Amino acid sequence: MTAGTTRRHPPRPRRLGVELRGAFGLIGTLTKVLSFAVLFPTALAIGYSEPFWPFLAAGAIMVLVGLGLERMGRGAPPIGFREGFFVVAVTWLAAATLGALPYLISGEPQLDRPVDAYFEAMSGFTTTGASVLTDIPALDHSMLMWRQFTQWLGGMGIIVLVLAVLPRLRVGGRQLLESEMPGPEVDDLADRIRSTAQRLWLLYVALTAVQALILAIFGWTGIDDRMTPFNAVAHAFTTLPTGGFSPEARSVESFAAASQWVIVIFMTLAGMNFALLYRLFVRRKARAASRDEEARLYLTILALMSVLLAVELWQKGFQHGEAAFRHGTFQVVSMMTTTGYASTDFIIWPAFALMILVGVMLVGGSAGSTGGAIKVVRHLLIGKVLRRELRQTLHPEVVIPIRLNGAVVDERTLRAIAAFVLLYIGLFAAGAGLIALDSAFEGPPISAFDAIAATATTLGNVGPGLGFAGPMGSFEPFSDFSTIVMIALMWLGRLEIVPVIVLLTRGYWRV
Amino acid sequence: MYPAPAVKIFVIGAGQVGSTIVEALHGEHNLTVIDLDPGRLTPLAYRYDVATVEANGASRRALADAGVRDADLVIACTSRDEANLVAATFARIEAPRATTVIRTSNVEYIELWREGRLDVDFVVSSEIETANAITRVIRVPAAVQTDIFAEGQVQMVEYEVTELTNPDVLGKPLRECGLVPRDSRLVAIIRGDLMIIPRGDTVITSGDRLVVVGSPEAAQAWGDLLSPGEGVVEDVVVFGGGQVGVAIARQLLEQHIGVRLIEPDRERARRIAEDLPDARVYQATGLDPDFLERERIGQAQAAVFAMREDAKNHYAATLARVHGIDFTIAIIHDPIAREVYEHSGVDVTVNPRQVTAEEIVRFAHDPRTQQVAMIEDDRFEVLDITTSPTSEYVGLMLREMPIRGAVIGAIVRDGKAVFPHSDDVLQAGDRVIVFTESSRVADVERVL
Repeated sequence: MTAGTTRRHPPRPRRLGVELRGAFGLIGTLTKVLSFAVLFPTALAIGYSEPFWPFLAAGAIMVLVGLGLERMGRGAPPIGFREGFFVVAVTWLAAATLGALPYLISGEPQLDRPVDAYFEAMSGFTTTGASVLTDIPALDHSMLMWRQFTQWLGGMGIIVLVLAVLPRLRVGGRQLLESEMPGPEVDDLADRIRSTAQRLWLLYVALTAVQALILAIFGWTGIDDRMTPFNAVAHAFTTLPTGGFSPEARSVESFAAASQWVIVIFMTLAGMNFALLYRLFVRRKARAASRDEEARLYLTILALMSVLLAVELWQKGFQHGEAAFRHGTFQVVSMMTTTGYASTDFIIWPAFALMILVGVMLVGGSAGSTGGAIKVVRHLLIGKVLRRELRQTLHPEVVIPIRLNGAVVDERTLRAIAAFVLLYIGLFAAGAGLIALDSAFEGPPISAFDAIAATATTLGNVGPGLGFAGPMGSFEPFSDFSTIVMIALMWLGRLEIVPVIVLLTRGYWRV
Repeated sequence: MYPAPAVKIFVIGAGQVGSTIVEALHGEHNLTVIDLDPGRLTPLAYRYDVATVEANGASRRALADAGVRDADLVIACTSRDEANLVAATFARIEAPRATTVIRTSNVEYIELWREGRLDVDFVVSSEIETANAITRVIRVPAAVQTDIFAEGQVQMVEYEVTELTNPDVLGKPLRECGLVPRDSRLVAIIRGDLMIIPRGDTVITSGDRLVVVGSPEAAQAWGDLLSPGEGVVEDVVVFGGGQVGVAIARQLLEQHIGVRLIEPDRERARRIAEDLPDARVYQATGLDPDFLERERIGQAQAAVFAMREDAKNHYAATLARVHGIDFTIAIIHDPIAREVYEHSGVDVTVNPRQVTAEEIVRFAHDPRTQQVAMIEDDRFEVLDITTSPTSEYVGLMLREMPIRGAVIGAIVRDGKAVFPHSDDVLQAGDRVIVFTESSRVADVERVL
């Protein structure tokens, strides 16, 4: 035997830091459960005597995929904090796959290419509302309703995501929402998600039902003869999740003014924190809700921008009287809450009006809403941080805690918010650059402002862009490359960027 | 005729607070002092006629052995909140009829006590008492010391007369000064070791200290008379964000006085800024001339020095004066610091332990005595006491009363304050605000 040490064991193989089997198991379960959603369009298809097998086939495929993944995760150790990011990111991809399958299986000529079908489905589940369809009414009733329904399901997912999951993953400042959640404090993640989901989904379903009912009554009483029960339900399905899909060819343009005002009210509600709405409607704590700083700023921006836009439209002679205020308000609310309906074709509006619309797209809804983009509370806190910086320039030693609704916001949260906004701007610039670059090679010719609008609308999960991708237009002319870029932007924007970006870091996968 | 009530008092803790209490109460009452440290007990036993027990006050057996059973009043005033609470709890078990008083700085205990869920009769907090004392001084900037009686209807203020004092008042017989504010009485002039009961021909000289009792407006108007032009303080800088500093800042803010607070520790500064949203908090030492200049600290109307070390407070106060602050108030930790401060021009010093002792001592007084203020290190006291119907003084005019080193500054009759003249008659049930030498407190309580 030689001197020195001999290695008895070979070095341990490098282990992955993420428990992938367990994560896939959970994704499988979620996919399996979600797949049963196809039963709704199936029933509708049978009712309308339309082909129903694309839905059943898509459901069956995804149930099998789900079962397979679930089997893979059997016996795996329970997943934790780190796997959460992976589960969240991949679940949305799986949902979009489920959304795309019926389009592909049905052989619908407008959606027969996988990229287009996937874009349409991702736009649905991320509640964006951008569409590659050029002739929407050509689709079957059941297929149109499936589009609407994907947004409604996406909205349900988002409520749970933003109010229960992301705060736990400390994304974009968890402190902002954690204390806001009504209900008992539960330590177990699963229990917490379950109790949150139960309370808030009930509110979500109730608000959807109320809106559908009001719109349907307008239809029955003749206030709005275009508002069939089908349209009433279809639009309620895409208002609460701030989605923006419409089965109509020209969005909500043809509806009566009364219906458009009702949609404005429900879009405004959908852009508010659902935990706050819960307190307002269920707990009836109107005082507490009316003092919320974010809600106040949100409503102030909406009101100011609506008036500004209305005045601009009236002055430039595009609209007059009530119509100016209705279209001004409708479009500002629709863009800022990231819904994306259009009450009129706004691409012909003057440059200042379009700046307002693209500007509010970057503001976004409230935290804890189904709206996308940067969100009002982050703007509010960034503003407070900037004000503090200015004061500290004059008074270097002064200590100023940042407060939100009277409570001190910790510095980590503020850093996370600053990082989020920087990431958002970075992705925004990168996306606009890629779309512009693509137009130089194979994509359609596009103006710089339209490229910016297309990026803002997909990253912010809004819907319509400008130019050919305007509210009455389509994303169909974009090349596959740009389409894929925009699919990624919708996905990133919906998941608040960080959970996806984290997956791209080496540290995430290491022990 | 009316024997001084023989009160048996247990003092647990012979630190600064305990010693001050002993100093104020010895002689009149039967005192037992308990402390673990013989080094603290020996000087007390040597100087005063008190029983000392070397034991742990937070031990039930030790308390029982020391004879707490017979106590009428148990004062737990060690520097440890928990020990005080435990001692009071055991005292309650051993002597259920004794009044218990604890000293604490724990806000939680104070709140519990206010809610009536702490089985202690009285809770005294050094921080709150100190903050009260300083706030009162800041509201009357010319005062050395001030205290409020009879639910705010009567104020006692001690003023210092210096060369800067209004020359119209200096060097003249009082009756020629004329404009004495109504509803007030100059009850005493303290000149060195002398106490002078002022008469019309008394002359005020530089170095005197005047004790005035009157309605708050009138008592404060004396400040304008003595040093005209000193306005209302609205901007105070507090140096040091310890418990005392924060309590002072909080009190001042409650009275709508602007506060800037300087605390060197980053973490503490952050917490204070979070707790006191209305204060401006700096994370700085307060000893950096650049900082003082940049933040215009010198333009503040008053500065309170509440850091943990006397020497640091002293240095900072001197520096602040150099930068232009002309009203400085310092917290003192070691009683000796007082002389240093006063010598170097600090306007007011407040000793938290003395303030605490003062608050505690009133529990030892006759139950008719509602409040006590100590002046000049307890050489003098101002009492708020209700006259007994059998008092020999009832029915006498003030000028007929034999002078025994005591002056009645105010009478509260049927809930209203009266500022008496020499021909007013004392009635049974009157509440009187009396200025007296401390050694005569028991006499005053006996005759009234």
